Amino acid sequence: MRGRPQLVGYAWSIGAAAVATLSGVAMQPRFDVVNIAMVYLLAVVIVALRYTRGAAIAAAILSVATFDYLFVPPRGTFSVEDLQYLLTFAIMLAVALIVSRLVESVRRQAATQASLAIEAETERIRSALLASISHDLRTPLAVMAGASSSLAESGDRLDPAERQALAASIFRQVRDLSDQVAKVLQMTRLETGAMRIERDWTSLGEIVESVLARLRERLASHRVIVELPDDLPLVRIDATLVEQALGNLLENCAKHTPPDTVVRIRVQRRAGDGDVVVTVEDYAGGLSDADFARLFAKFHHGTAEGAGGGVGLGLAICRAIVRLHDGQAWAERIPGGGTAFRFTLPLEPAPAMPREMDEMNVPPRLLRALPPGRRSQSLRARRR
Amino acid sequence: MPGNRATVLVVEDEPEIRRFLRAALGVEGYRVVESATGRRGSIDAGTHKPDLAIVDLALPDLDGVDVIRRIREWSPMPIIVLSARTQERAKIEALDAGADDYVMKPFGVGELLARVRAALRHAVRPASGVPLLRFGGAIIDLEHRRATRAGEDVHLTPIEFRLLATLAKHAGMVVTHRELLTQVWGPTHAADTHYLRIYMKQLRDKLERDPVRPAHLVTETGIGYRLVADQ
Repeated sequence: MRGRPQLVGYAWSIGAAAVATLSGVAMQPRFDVVNIAMVYLLAVVIVALRYTRGAAIAAAILSVATFDYLFVPPRGTFSVEDLQYLLTFAIMLAVALIVSRLVESVRRQAATQASLAIEAETERIRSALLASISHDLRTPLAVMAGASSSLAESGDRLDPAERQALAASIFRQVRDLSDQVAKVLQMTRLETGAMRIERDWTSLGEIVESVLARLRERLASHRVIVELPDDLPLVRIDATLVEQALGNLLENCAKHTPPDTVVRIRVQRRAGDGDVVVTVEDYAGGLSDADFARLFAKFHHGTAEGAGGGVGLGLAICRAIVRLHDGQAWAERIPGGGTAFRFTLPLEPAPAMPREMDEMNVPPRLLRALPPGRRSQSLRARRR
Repeated sequence: MPGNRATVLVVEDEPEIRRFLRAALGVEGYRVVESATGRRGSIDAGTHKPDLAIVDLALPDLDGVDVIRRIREWSPMPIIVLSARTQERAKIEALDAGADDYVMKPFGVGELLARVRAALRHAVRPASGVPLLRFGGAIIDLEHRRATRAGEDVHLTPIEFRLLATLAKHAGMVVTHRELLTQVWGPTHAADTHYLRIYMKQLRDKLERDPVRPAHLVTETGIGYRLVADQ
């Protein structure tokens, strides 16, 4: 890959010398030879600024040669009558060297700075990961080690209720831990691009249902309200991934708001482009502006992080999944207190659906015009 | 319930996982046969004639899916697969190859035992003999194609009946999209998942108490559906 830009540089040094020569020829009747030398100098500076030192030297030599041959008396030869032109040649070469050297050092500095910035970001992620592991993963591990060793070593002396409580707590911790590990793995797969999304026609109602069933225990302390229009169109998405994205938002709300508060899930079509917007709202989160800006960053923990925070990947995974689906994810402050987490999913034209014999009494045109979800309703209405 | 003495074959290479499966299944009164490899498991399935097999999908020698195919060549015994979270594809492949249900690692024993019980119940009862299906206040007479909910007649279309009957045939167990589409609409529609989305919504609207949070016509995201009927 390095060979090509260098070739381009040499091509440009020839081109620059040629352009300088052409303008020199045009200038010759009315301008001094010294001014023509200035044009050549400009060509050398431009090449030195944009390309490698080799190209700059080549431009200088070419310029000197053509300048000498065409404009320095005696013309048409490389010999020099007046020795002061040798100074012109030397200056041209010196300018080429100095400029290209300056440019090179500036370029080097920029490259170092960029790699330093990447290193710093990598370092930040690495230390954040280590911090998460040491806190969020070590606490459950400590609980599990303590509880399981009590059971193994003195289980027979504990009363059954205590034994049961210890075992149940191990199970709970393991499940949380395995969730966290799965999130780290998932983020890695999303980041390395190893994730292939498998789109299929999916009902967002079923996604909501499935998330609520999966997170039943974790959401038990909150009041979950679902707002789902009956005529919601199907979307073509990777159901497993979008289920995770929505689940992460819900877990996040449940984790950061006090028990007995409301968490609202709302799915609606956006006026205008008709994209589907999925919203999860809580009404208790007191997020700072700094929190808002970094909400979807990796390993970000709220400033008021309580116990059992998790590795802080939930929202980053949510955003990565939504982006894979060409959607957007963001958070908004709710006036009066609270946070709305939203993501969009693009809508595609609905797939064809054959009519069932049973529904023949309804004029076919009308049936096709009805959104799928409304058909059963219209039928029910007809029967009454 | 000790005394039922059903034999369960466990094909799993991790000894620690076999250990707790042996303990948990033993306490419930099942006789446990263990195989540490896929090849061994395929042979043990023939010699021990178990009532049910639990097969890990990640085996060192054979693919778990191959073990299922080998067993399915000669036996309809219920098969439950153990799969890791990262094996989405393999899980669906295993179900389509003839496995009856799955449990995702790490799992609680309660979840596994519930699956085992449902699968054994299904095996004992002939698939066609499910005259009355009851769940959450709904009663469906699959033979005479009549349905009521909370005592009131509910009208179901022929396709809705067929869909419900296919789910009922595997009551308690997951049925993949492909399987449902093939059984209800025919093999040419095996990939038309949107048919299912629409008809499942219709069924829920008609039969579930809370269609938004269905308790009986349950979605298995990315896999299929499960009918949870009253016992």
